[in-house]
Amino acid sequence: MDELIEQFAIEARELVQQASDDLLSLEAYPGDRERLESAFRAVHTLKGSVGLFDFGPMQDVLHHAEDLLSHARAGTIAVDTTLIDPLLAVVEWVDGTIDGIAQTGRLSETQKRQATRLMGLVKADMTSLETDEPTSSPPTAIPDWASSMRQLLSSNDSQGTLVAIRYEPHPECFFNGDDPLATLSRVPDLRHIAISLKQPPSLRDFDPFRCNLIIEGISGGPLQQVESEFRLIPDQVKLVALPGMVAQINQRPPATDRQTTVMRVDPGRIDALVEIVGELVTAKNGLLPLADEARGHGSAALARRIVASHQEIERLVASLYSAVTKARLIPLEQTFRRFPRLVRETSMKLSKAVDLIIEGETVEADREIVENLFEPLLHLIRNSLDHGIETEAERRQALKSTRGRILLSARQRGDRIEIEIADDGRGMDPMRIKKAAIDRGFVSEDQAALLSENDALHFVFAPGFSTASTISDLSGRGVGLDVVQRSIQRLGGTLEMNSSAGSGTSFTLKLPISFSMSQLMVVEVGGERYGIPIADVVETQKLPGSAVQFVRAGQAFILRDRTIPLVHLDDLLLVPRKTERSDADLKVLIVRAGEGQIGIAVDVIAERAETLTRPLTGLLQGVPGIAGTTLLGDGRVLLVLSLEELIQ
Amino acid sequence: MTVTVSETVIQLTGACGVEEVETLVECLQEHPSLPVDLSAATAIHTALWQALMVFRPKLTEAPTSFVIGEKVMGALNAYFCENTEL
Repeated sequence: MDELIEQFAIEARELVQQASDDLLSLEAYPGDRERLESAFRAVHTLKGSVGLFDFGPMQDVLHHAEDLLSHARAGTIAVDTTLIDPLLAVVEWVDGTIDGIAQTGRLSETQKRQATRLMGLVKADMTSLETDEPTSSPPTAIPDWASSMRQLLSSNDSQGTLVAIRYEPHPECFFNGDDPLATLSRVPDLRHIAISLKQPPSLRDFDPFRCNLIIEGISGGPLQQVESEFRLIPDQVKLVALPGMVAQINQRPPATDRQTTVMRVDPGRIDALVEIVGELVTAKNGLLPLADEARGHGSAALARRIVASHQEIERLVASLYSAVTKARLIPLEQTFRRFPRLVRETSMKLSKAVDLIIEGETVEADREIVENLFEPLLHLIRNSLDHGIETEAERRQALKSTRGRILLSARQRGDRIEIEIADDGRGMDPMRIKKAAIDRGFVSEDQAALLSENDALHFVFAPGFSTASTISDLSGRGVGLDVVQRSIQRLGGTLEMNSSAGSGTSFTLKLPISFSMSQLMVVEVGGERYGIPIADVVETQKLPGSAVQFVRAGQAFILRDRTIPLVHLDDLLLVPRKTERSDADLKVLIVRAGEGQIGIAVDVIAERAETLTRPLTGLLQGVPGIAGTTLLGDGRVLLVLSLEELIQ
Repeated sequence: MTVTVSETVIQLTGACGVEEVETLVECLQEHPSLPVDLSAATAIHTALWQALMVFRPKLTEAPTSFVIGEKVMGALNAYFCENTEL
């Protein structure tokens, strides 16, 4: 591929993402001057890059988009949806063309035709503006009352987002129980109030129960929040977003000056490093058997020296490993930033008003984890949009704010990250799920009656389970939560769900920050060796055969006054048993299973090993119960088990 | 009673709801020269503010216990300054 085009594709993707981030943010905070500047810069730079090639109408489309933005910067048109919608359409169109351009070096015929339509969108805005300008103010211009309000503010108060409010309460509003000033007082960050009487006051026939006021105010809060305070009386209120008054525009840095201290590295090169470190770990593990051998030959001194150098190498490998893994860390933002636009598009399609709130996007995790999170997160968010958030009418009936809310947040907890997707929608109804579980033959009616509400909710993770009454083109594609759960597990994570009927559902994903070096316990059953992550093992016990009690079809034993179920690893793995079980002592690993503990009997508990466990790829990917593979010091491959999956 | 009249002042106390507006208007009509003290009010309904705008008594103390009180009183005073012809 042409190197120039390749470079263009990389840059264009970044600029498109930047512009789209900025425009979406402007939609929520129309007064955010910095975002406006940034959007302008992104489109301007994009136009510049496009100018190097012949992409037909793209140059013109971007040129007009840039014009619109520069009018907004100059304050001659207001930043509102009539401005942002066509601009977003342009950005999305450019985004859609990049892949094709990267391959063929030009626009497809369809894309060219789309450009004509876009041109209409961005040009229409311009012409209506230009023809109106000389005589009257354009339709989107800021009304006089709003701009004169801004004049009243001190320069300190007029920074950032501003929303001008003009509220003319209905004359009979006191009879409806309205208290207009109390309503106004609930507006966030109220910076200024002005009150006047609509008609000149007359002391003689003054009716104290008729409202004769015009109330104006300025808020520093986000437009959406101001709107929501007045949601019941939209006809009595006018809201206008004012661009903030930040220092003049000519101070902005030139658009080409986008220097960063970050270096772009082909991820493949870092992966190669990780591979080498992995092999180094394996090579290092080979030193310990060597020390044993030396000891066996009677040279204890040599053995000690080998052990000492093993420790030194171990320390160095560990720090090399942590340095390399850090190089692979990228912020979750890379995945999170794709959602605002998707949520916007989807919520429009569903005609639901939804705010997506993103928190903790700076938390970092391994590149592979961050990139593989997109699909599962997308699925969960679509689920919330489609099934969780109610229609506006339903929400009004439930006395909720008409705008739905989805929170996507991330935080770091020790060496793991926690990602939460929470909506304030209708939640899941355990009864409905139980009923669906019975209908689909998952449980009998008697069994269902015994299930706790929480247990019932977990049916949604069962393969083939979906309670959606209508299949929409969004989430009803036969991909269920079981698939989401499996893809999270493949990344070494867990997925939990909480839901309360009426107030919403939340999913919590717990994931490792990176594929870390993990301690394994090596065990033997049926002559085969397997690795078990030590983190899963609570303790090991030697159990006399007589201590095992038979409980119905299973076995159990008592440890410190608690009954613990016992399973045999060879049964779980379906490997032939080497020796018949006798009354000989059993070697049992006590492992965590959900809330409780479970005992797993093995033939031999062998050494411990430190390894770099990588998620499975290729053929083994679909094998349940196997978390990954690792190489032992002697070059043998060890299967690392995922006990949680096995026990299920 | 949330609207009380003494010899020197009309005072609003506590939460003053819309039902107090007639009492307040009567007081303002009977005692046009008395100042109004809002400092002890914890909430004042818009109807009462409107009455104060129409009768224009001297407002002595701003309410302190609720956020919007001071701002509204400022707005009232600004309105009085701009419309002095009455």
